[in-house]
Amino acid sequence: MINLTINGIQRSFEGDEEMPLLWHLREDAGLKGTKFGCGIGQCGACTVHVDGEATRSCSVPMASLNGTAITTIEGLADGDNLHPVQEAWLEEDVPQCGYCQAGQITATAAFLKNTPNPTDDDINEGITNICRCGTYFRIRKAIKRAAENMQNA
Amino acid sequence: MTALSRRNFLKSGTAFAGLTVLVSNSPALLATDSELHHGIGPCLRFSSEGLPILCVPTPDMGQGMMTTAAQIIAEELDLELSAVSVEFLPFVGVIDENGVAQDGDLIQGAGGSHSTMTLWPALRKTSAYVRALFIEAAAQQWAVSSNSLFTDDGYVINRKTGAQLSFGELDDAVQTVSLDKQTIELKPIKDFKVVGKDATNVAARDIVTGEPVFASDIEVPGMLHAAIRRCPHLNGKIVSFNKGTIEQLLGVVAVEKIDRYPEEREEFRVLSDGVAVIAKTYWQARKAADALEIEWDGDISKDDSTDLILEKCNALLKNGEFKQVQKRGDVDAAFERADKTIDVTYTHPSWAHTCIEPHNCIADVKTDTAEIWVGHQTMSRPANIAKKFAGIDAAKVTGHFYRMGTGFGRKYVEDFVAEAVILSKRVRAPVKVTWSREDEIEQDYPNHMGAYRVRAAIDDKGDLSGWHIKTALDTGRDWVARDFPANTMDNTLGEVARVPNNISRGAWRGPSHNTGAWVVQSALNEAAYAAGRDPLEFLVALYKQTGTVRAPNWPNMDIDFRRHAAMLEKVASESGYGKKMPSGWGHGIAVHHTFVGTCAHVIELEMVGDNDYRVHKVTSAIDCGLAVNPLGVRAQVESGIMDGLCAAKYGNLVFENGVPVTNNFDSYRKMRIDEAPAVVDVHIMDFGDTDPKGTGEISLPPLIPALTNAIFAASRKRVRTLPISENL
Ligand code: FES
Ligand code: FES
Repeated sequence: MINLTINGIQRSFEGDEEMPLLWHLREDAGLKGTKFGCGIGQCGACTVHVDGEATRSCSVPMASLNGTAITTIEGLADGDNLHPVQEAWLEEDVPQCGYCQAGQITATAAFLKNTPNPTDDDINEGITNICRCGTYFRIRKAIKRAAENMQNA
Repeated sequence: MTALSRRNFLKSGTAFAGLTVLVSNSPALLATDSELHHGIGPCLRFSSEGLPILCVPTPDMGQGMMTTAAQIIAEELDLELSAVSVEFLPFVGVIDENGVAQDGDLIQGAGGSHSTMTLWPALRKTSAYVRALFIEAAAQQWAVSSNSLFTDDGYVINRKTGAQLSFGELDDAVQTVSLDKQTIELKPIKDFKVVGKDATNVAARDIVTGEPVFASDIEVPGMLHAAIRRCPHLNGKIVSFNKGTIEQLLGVVAVEKIDRYPEEREEFRVLSDGVAVIAKTYWQARKAADALEIEWDGDISKDDSTDLILEKCNALLKNGEFKQVQKRGDVDAAFERADKTIDVTYTHPSWAHTCIEPHNCIADVKTDTAEIWVGHQTMSRPANIAKKFAGIDAAKVTGHFYRMGTGFGRKYVEDFVAEAVILSKRVRAPVKVTWSREDEIEQDYPNHMGAYRVRAAIDDKGDLSGWHIKTALDTGRDWVARDFPANTMDNTLGEVARVPNNISRGAWRGPSHNTGAWVVQSALNEAAYAAGRDPLEFLVALYKQTGTVRAPNWPNMDIDFRRHAAMLEKVASESGYGKKMPSGWGHGIAVHHTFVGTCAHVIELEMVGDNDYRVHKVTSAIDCGLAVNPLGVRAQVESGIMDGLCAAKYGNLVFENGVPVTNNFDSYRKMRIDEAPAVVDVHIMDFGDTDPKGTGEISLPPLIPALTNAIFAASRKRVRTLPISENL
């Protein structure tokens, strides 16, 4: 049996422990914000935080998650108060189709915790999620805006 | 304004076409006016709290139609976009005499960058009519003349007394009002408050908070999940599979064979031979499908390898049979008289769509009815698919439509909906089909591949005096051989040939244009250098003298090429084109008209070693007619830029012996943020148009030649084979 918390809520899991976290989130926990894009850890659409670290949930089996704390896109805001990264995404009008953006935002939220004042090179190395709509130009601006807002907060 | 858009507008204007669907009580309507939001037509409804909800008829795959259409509706209704919510309208078309669902006047499909242009008159009229109804209802209620009333932000207001009634309060009263549609006036452009202003994506908040807005996020009660192993060999077959073993696996409900459709394998593939595993959860279905042992017969396509097909295309260019599709003047004489000539060959492989949301669909097929939950580029089609694959009357199909995690032309087709329909009918339960990334690439309808030979003649004045283009493509498509400059100048010849194979091709963002523009704009760049002229000056002179010419290809618009010249001059001046740059840096310029819009780019890049480069800045100008949402237009230009940079550098869907082998993002490379240009400077041209044209595909085609022309300017290396990463 695997015990974990998802967005602060205790859950236990007794199914197939080979199943990636992604499908537990989407199918068992009903959290559809985390997306499937490739299943091989390449695109980042499935990014969540596992104990605060950005993690590609398509490539993490349930077996490895006992005692962990998971945060998904649904758990990023504080009630109606959006996370500064979400706010920056709205201010820069980043989303086109929107499918990759939950992953981009969760990846950025974790990235900015470790790199609060990122350079372009930091962003180039630290953010590797695929956006098929090519919103990278606005993502870069939103990352910088979020960093600024978080420092001024 | 172009001739085409004016004609379209007038035609629909006189017939008041936008309203025929909305006020008709024809029993043939899938969803009648009375079902859809009473007498106010389908584009507006009120929540239980009386708040307005705008209902957008066109699918959104990231191209921003949900926002653009909402702006048009909000404008004519006098509503503020920030004060309303927006949702998708169900299908409201008609069933024709053959029982086929067709769009009504509100076109409910997205393709060819057409949605804004085709919806513009219908949506405006629909919305303006509803606003007039509200005014009339208030006038009757207050027993005053409607002339003394006006609307503002969702209220009808009495000019004299200041009394006001919200649209929501008038919802009932409006049911008994009717007006002569011919007398409805549209808002004059000078009064626009929403159209022409930046509007952020209306779905953005749902997206950044992870709300379930995609079809893949939907669950319906009693739903089963299907994972399908489809034949990876082009047009291959199943010989055998271990059905009995798989049926025993945990959670598995059924193991079903799906047959290639149509059966004749030389026909365009709708469905591949495959085995579907249906289980209680997706993971169970996936795991059991992966455990299937299937023997395939791929013999039919064993010669279909990318290398071999491109070799055949190139061989054909040297000594094959070609069909003439464009001929003007005497091309041989022009080459005999020429002062200089170029003779160059361009080659490119296929590109996959890689839609970020792998295809998925839920179908619930009952005895006489069906329900479908899907993100699809055309909203009439799912009803027709249920009819074709499950025998359900198209009028008895209910479709629920969602945002698409990109489409690019791939989500215009039948396959993923047909699979869900077939399986639901067989197991008599709602079935959700979810594709893997590998499925999405292996079963793609990819972009064409092939080779092009261009000969250009330059006369003693340094002007282009002859153009001979031969295309040997796997599709045999003839756009590039028929179009500019083959159709606009004297002494041209365009010829095409086809190299047959087993690949079923589809529409990939800017079909034909996406690579054709590269060939034409690169060859013109080569011609300019051969003539000893600057490419900018050479192109501007060429376009200025071309004037207005009707395009020989769909949608056969009149194109005023002087606009091309103006756009080239715009991007040149904005980018500092021609300024002195360090060695290893270069500017490349190109312009192209795709379907209904034109875009020009200047790319500034720096070589990184001999075989790589970094794009620092892209300066763009787009002519999309009236820009309904400038912020959204810029987003689409930015998107096309990234798509072009990526496809040109890495795009290579490799076939080996009939199998697409680059089937996930580890082998089919997509660009990430580290290769995105730091500066993208987009200028929306104002040529005084009063109607919108198109945006979604327009910026991509000229991007690729601007890039390879910049590489030449920086390195003197001419890229004539894509992808660049393997050929520089
Ligand atoms: S789905 Fe997990 S990285 Fe792509
Ligand atoms: S916004 Fe569409 S994939 Fe990123």
